[in-house]
Amino acid sequence: VSRFLVRRLLLLVPVLMGVSVIVFLVLHLAPGDPAEIMLGSQATQADRMRLRADLGLDDPLYVQYARWMGHVVQGDLGRSLWMRRPVLGEVLTRLKATLLLTATALVISSIGGVALGILSATRPNSLLDRTSAVASLFGASMPVFWLGIVLMVIFSLNLGWLPASGMYAPYGGGDLADLAKHLVLPAVTLAGASITIVARLTRAAMLEVLGQDFIRTARAKGLVERSVVVRHALKNALVPIVTVIGVQAGYLLGGAVLTETVFAWPGVGTLMVQGILARDIPLVQGCVLVVALTFVLVNLTVDLLYAVLDPRIRYE
Amino acid sequence: MRRQLMLAVVLVLGLVMPAFAQPAGTLVVGLVAEPVNLDPAQVTDLNSNRVGRRVVETLVTFPEEKTEVVPGLAESWTISKDGLQYTFKLRRGITFHDGTSFNASAVKFSIERQINPDHPANKLGKYPFANYFFGNVKAVEPLSDDRVAFLLKEPRASFLAVLTAGAASIVSPTAVMKAGLDYPSAPVGTGPFKFASWDRGQRVVLEKNPKYWKGPVKIERVVYRPIVEDQARLTELLTGQLDLIVGVPADYVTQLESNQKVGLLKQTGVHVWYLGINNQKKPFDDRRVRQALNYAVDKQAIVRDVLKGTGTPSVGPVQPNTWGAEPGLKAYPYDPARAKKLLAEAGYPNGLTTTLWVPESGSGMQAPVAMSTVIQSNLKAVGVNVNMQTMEWGAYLAKLRSKEQELFALSWMAGMEDPDMVMYPLLHSSQWTPNGPNRALYKNDKFDQLLTEARHTTDQAKRATLYKQAQKILIEDAPWIFIDHEVQIAAFAKRVQGFKLHPSFDLRVETISLK
Repeated sequence: VSRFLVRRLLLLVPVLMGVSVIVFLVLHLAPGDPAEIMLGSQATQADRMRLRADLGLDDPLYVQYARWMGHVVQGDLGRSLWMRRPVLGEVLTRLKATLLLTATALVISSIGGVALGILSATRPNSLLDRTSAVASLFGASMPVFWLGIVLMVIFSLNLGWLPASGMYAPYGGGDLADLAKHLVLPAVTLAGASITIVARLTRAAMLEVLGQDFIRTARAKGLVERSVVVRHALKNALVPIVTVIGVQAGYLLGGAVLTETVFAWPGVGTLMVQGILARDIPLVQGCVLVVALTFVLVNLTVDLLYAVLDPRIRYE
Repeated sequence: MRRQLMLAVVLVLGLVMPAFAQPAGTLVVGLVAEPVNLDPAQVTDLNSNRVGRRVVETLVTFPEEKTEVVPGLAESWTISKDGLQYTFKLRRGITFHDGTSFNASAVKFSIERQINPDHPANKLGKYPFANYFFGNVKAVEPLSDDRVAFLLKEPRASFLAVLTAGAASIVSPTAVMKAGLDYPSAPVGTGPFKFASWDRGQRVVLEKNPKYWKGPVKIERVVYRPIVEDQARLTELLTGQLDLIVGVPADYVTQLESNQKVGLLKQTGVHVWYLGINNQKKPFDDRRVRQALNYAVDKQAIVRDVLKGTGTPSVGPVQPNTWGAEPGLKAYPYDPARAKKLLAEAGYPNGLTTTLWVPESGSGMQAPVAMSTVIQSNLKAVGVNVNMQTMEWGAYLAKLRSKEQELFALSWMAGMEDPDMVMYPLLHSSQWTPNGPNRALYKNDKFDQLLTEARHTTDQAKRATLYKQAQKILIEDAPWIFIDHEVQIAAFAKRVQGFKLHPSFDLRVETISLK
């Protein structure tokens, strides 16, 4: 396992290099001059030229990339053009909020999705199963921001139960209950689409396992149904379920950008949107790099989980 | 098990309990975006300025709701006969929030850090306004501890108005040098509020300055929260989590007007939205064609149906409440028949085809695409076929330097009401793009001469006369299609007292008290 781990961790390097090259190229090839945006519409041509030279934007792309990479390998992601603050610190502060939101959404969609999937699988074609099928279709095709706004209008504006935005009360507050209260709407919104996907997949995997011989044997030897479903069937259906949950983890990390913007959640997503609008190149590069790293590490964790769940899977 | 159950009950109760109102004395303001940098000399965006300008102040300023220049940190000033030296007498006994004294050398430091490349603080920031506002400043010389002189390269009568700009704020030199590159995250000035804290992505907190020289500030602190999503900002206001929001989206105005919980304020800002015409390019070098375009567009409909009252139709570049505005100007009425006739006279009886560049968004651009679409269909009705090309803001600004534009949508926020600050950069021929902001490439010798003369005159009444003449020429020449001035809208909770909007788009929360 340790050799596998080392190899996978080494693979991180080319992956992150690739990501950084693509992000760098996209940002530089996309129309939009950071100097124009920073200076606004009253800038003279001389102002613009000076700022471009100052920011090193006139150098060939490979020179700019090499300069940036040279700093990155030393752990320095540079300073944001606008905020004038070190990018690494900014991104790490925001990453905590994003991870909290994504992890909560992942827990909601895993537990909720698996439970729904099991219920549907054990009662195929029942009312619950059909409702869940319709809800899944709805959930999967519904845009995150729309769901977010609907939930906000119902639970914040009309019922007044939950705050509509932010992570803590504007002033005072700051304790765990305050945080939990603010977390509910964004986490449920973000989990919305993936809960249905997890549910559908769990249902399919469970149905397949439940039809196998050893289940009949388990039932024949008089085990209670609950034990049959949870101990025997679910355990054997877990590998595909964990795979899809792993994929969802990545999806949620990406989906967080929209959710965070809707709910003013202070995560990497809002920071990235702000950076993109201002063509704050170092800031966006830093955000993407850190998110990509997180994503790769999540995938690695999922791969390692397979071996734990299914003793037949071994990594050399 | 029982303990877990108890915990669950407590948690659920905690979740559904109604939110508490804000602590007394704390004003919570919802911004449409997070400030990026709290040093007003380093930023061009409104949100950063609205927060940053509570901390620092300028030598001269505008009074509430009005726009003539009045004393700020300077108690009086004199202007030399040739208009080249502005000497300010500073108020004594004012200290910065860090305890150091406000004096003439702080004034010199604050301005020269932006314009002098050898200044020790020059490399600590990018100063976007350095050239535009202070390119004309040769030096800032302290004459004594409380007297300071600005020496100009050329006379410029609007220089006092320039000194009301955020970029002209006086900062604590000690604080800037101590914080270095990090200064914009923790600014230090003389203003009504001191910087207290900034939780990234969540809030900026300012505390009241107990030693404020103008007298006691009536609120303890201001909390600024960035909430990008309109619905979220509105919900927070209606549920009492926010006390004040600006930039209320047009679609929500009617809904808020009938709501008993909130008050609404409207005011026309120092802003102009125009459809630029390339005055040098055929067929637009013919005045009749430009006039025809003005007759063809239904501004009232744009303001009513697209902007839903968040704009007021404009007659020219100068906002009507400005001291130099010509009151007798008549707007081009919506008259498609007249437009067709003028086009025929100019030799285009069958109309013409042209291109309109539009940014997708941008500072002060209101609803650029929707507005331009109405203009496009209005023009089509008189035979002018318009190909509309939308672009990203930064790319758009860069492209306008090419001089290849035919028609283009743009806006201008002078930030201060002086006709010179609008007409000179946008329409004087010395300001042609790519060097200046005259992107319509307008040139009229008589107009240029009037503006230059007004710049060199320090007599305000005489300047007003000159600007009024200049505006009459503009209406005749029709270098743009004049569209609207933005009406800023703020909504606030009923406990907010004494709030006023300022035409400069500044958000002066120091006038507020809380019930």
